[in-house]
Amino acid sequence: MSEVKEKKPSGSRKWTARILTLVVLIAIAAWMFVIGRGHTVYFDNKTLELENGESIGTLQRVDVYVNGNRVARLAKRERGMATWIGQNFKMTLEITKEKGDEPYTQEVAIDLPYSLDGIVVNLPGYLAGRSQDEWMSEFVPVASSTTEEDEEIITDEFGLGDM
Amino acid sequence: MNKKKFSLGEFLRGNSVPIMFILICAFCIPISGFSPTYLLNEIITRLGRNAFLILSLLIPIMAGMGLNFGMTLGAMAGEIALILVSDWQIWGIPGVVLAMIISIPFSVALGLLCGKILNMAKGREMVTSYIISYFINGVYQLVVLYMMGPIIPIAHSSIKLPRGYGIRNTVSLLNMRQCLDDLLAIRVSGVKIPVLTLIIIALMCLAIVWFRKTKLGQDMRAVGQDMDVARDAGIQVERTRIISIVISTVLAGFGMIIYLQNMGNLSTYSSHSQIGMFCIAALLVGGASVDKASIGNVFLGVILFHLMFIVAPSAGAKITGDSMIGEYFRVFVSYGVITVALVMYETKKRRAKQSLGRQLEEDQRKGEKA
Repeated sequence: MSEVKEKKPSGSRKWTARILTLVVLIAIAAWMFVIGRGHTVYFDNKTLELENGESIGTLQRVDVYVNGNRVARLAKRERGMATWIGQNFKMTLEITKEKGDEPYTQEVAIDLPYSLDGIVVNLPGYLAGRSQDEWMSEFVPVASSTTEEDEEIITDEFGLGDM
Repeated sequence: MNKKKFSLGEFLRGNSVPIMFILICAFCIPISGFSPTYLLNEIITRLGRNAFLILSLLIPIMAGMGLNFGMTLGAMAGEIALILVSDWQIWGIPGVVLAMIISIPFSVALGLLCGKILNMAKGREMVTSYIISYFINGVYQLVVLYMMGPIIPIAHSSIKLPRGYGIRNTVSLLNMRQCLDDLLAIRVSGVKIPVLTLIIIALMCLAIVWFRKTKLGQDMRAVGQDMDVARDAGIQVERTRIISIVISTVLAGFGMIIYLQNMGNLSTYSSHSQIGMFCIAALLVGGASVDKASIGNVFLGVILFHLMFIVAPSAGAKITGDSMIGEYFRVFVSYGVITVALVMYETKKRRAKQSLGRQLEEDQRKGEKA
């Protein structure tokens, strides 16, 4: 006797395909949401004042390389910045601790918190091996002292626009 | 076999618009004074920027719905997705991909609405879709200007208007600017070739070629040729037409995202307003008509139309001493080419109807004699 194959109704197959497509799209979207999160990382070469009154002094000079490009050359009390996509931030530091010292290179990997747009990393604190709470903080843009005027909305029904 | 003879007159009549544009460009290029490298760079950039958007117009033409002015709806969906992605700070290629995925539900909903309305206005699809785009533009402005902030959460003050709700005139897409174009870009004697963008466009072309051969593609072509015959053959005409508009709207959304990632900023209230018009004009310049368009027309159209766009202001300034003349000229040509195409389409339709009538009359006369 030949085996009788039950044919699935085409409607249910169609719905399965639709749901599967939807699930795949949501999964890709969620993945992009995680891997695409952009951060602005600020590097400070400033003295780190700790809660216990201790302070960590500045470095003579720090060159910061991100993805092979030098993004900042920091003298004492200077700040640099770089943009980064994702949470696993990597940079290479070329550090000169004291005047006249030979510079040395150090690879740095930092896990960036997802929720923060701007992150300040205090380099002397990080290099001194302190805890993350001490050398990492959120960058809060300083609010403008003057109230910003509302901008006029311009619609372009018949103009050339961006063309 | 009955081989069709080549007729120069017929060829010129059939390709009058591209020939006219080739002549305009040939006249304007030397006057403009631009170097070939500059022109090539600009053309390749604009090809990568616009080709996907124009490809989205092919499917409704296949389904006999003419030039889909409703592609603006997809463009608005793409813009809403980009605003959200910018606010969530998703950058680079993940931002582009996420924006494309987010635009899909908006595009599908708008495409369904547009398709349903167009089914109620058969034979008047183009003007109807044109007006729908204005109607949805109003809804878009309501959403973006009043709902984004209080109802749809927008966190960043760089996107939000100072009053606390609504989106600013310009949204910066700097963090995703040209991320697709730059990923596999190569430089050939000073000309930047955005390989990844061109690969995406090539894949889209292959998908369209494949789609034409599928059952749905064949149904669309049948509907495009004759709706009554297609209905008699068991094709769900209305459903097929709606699907064609939905696909076109979704592709237009993707195209708009590719377009804006190349530009690097989004003019919230104006980026989409003329996009349909210029894409349609480019397609027509490439030799397409209201009822027939091919992938070749898309590429020829982008090259010729944008070449004219680049050289016309400079050539106009050199000829007349006023750069605005060239500016007016290119706007005039954009609208003019659409008008000419519509007039030619209507004339062709009337001629075909008249010749059919004459044929019928002749047959009747012959029958009476017999």
